Amino acid sequence: MSNPLTTFEGAELGREVCRGRIALTQEEIDRFCSLMGYDDAAFRAGPSGGGIAPTSMCLAFGLRLGWEEQVFPPGVIRVGDENTYGVPARAGDVLTTTLVITDRFERKGRRFLTYEMVTTNQVDDEVCKVRFTAILP
Amino acid sequence: MKTEGDDEMAVQPTITIDQAMIDAYAAISGDFNPVHVDPDFAATTPFGTTIAHGCIPMEPIFRLVQSRTGQPAMPPNSRMKLRYLRPAHPGDTIGIEVTATLETGFEFRCINQRDETVIEGNVQLAD
Repeated sequence: MSNPLTTFEGAELGREVCRGRIALTQEEIDRFCSLMGYDDAAFRAGPSGGGIAPTSMCLAFGLRLGWEEQVFPPGVIRVGDENTYGVPARAGDVLTTTLVITDRFERKGRRFLTYEMVTTNQVDDEVCKVRFTAILP
Repeated sequence: MKTEGDDEMAVQPTITIDQAMIDAYAAISGDFNPVHVDPDFAATTPFGTTIAHGCIPMEPIFRLVQSRTGQPAMPPNSRMKLRYLRPAHPGDTIGIEVTATLETGFEFRCINQRDETVIEGNVQLAD
């Protein structure tokens, strides 16, 4: 059963819906780089430690939280983003992502929700803020 | 006079999408919506085939910023605003075209091999 706070009617704008924490590994960065064709020394582990994650990889942290926590309804259609990028995520970082619904509106008979997912690292520096608006099924 | 996109013509980062890439991105993002990963289901939808997750056709934007800044990551406090106009499908090659140069960034459209706009938006670079 879906969380009532994630529905159009039940969403409480600005209230945290869920929070997740992951430890980012070099293996995950390597896998993403291989998938998307990134080949830069900065993404690889070196003498000083783990590599950084490609910025686009960070978009997935909030998405994964939203899907795992069943925040996004199946069939949801993403129509637009407003994203802010902070410090790069790095292998070994412990990343915390919070998910909030920030807006709800209806247009031309369709219902929209705006989701905001903020990811921070272990010293509370912001890695990224992804805010996307979607049409609900 | 420099025309829009002159700087980018030489680099033109692209990404070619296939089902294996979509399946792998589903595992990364946790988004296993059948319209992404189930070709039989997708065939019954108005899309006709599976569609890529929205973040996949965004990749050329990040590549272009990388080539402009010479840095592997987006500069801290950079902003990106975008609208998804049509889906990307397996077999599509998505590129990027700069449509206007801004004081601290650029406006762009991500286009498929048929010159159809998949995503449009702008990037504001900081630092």
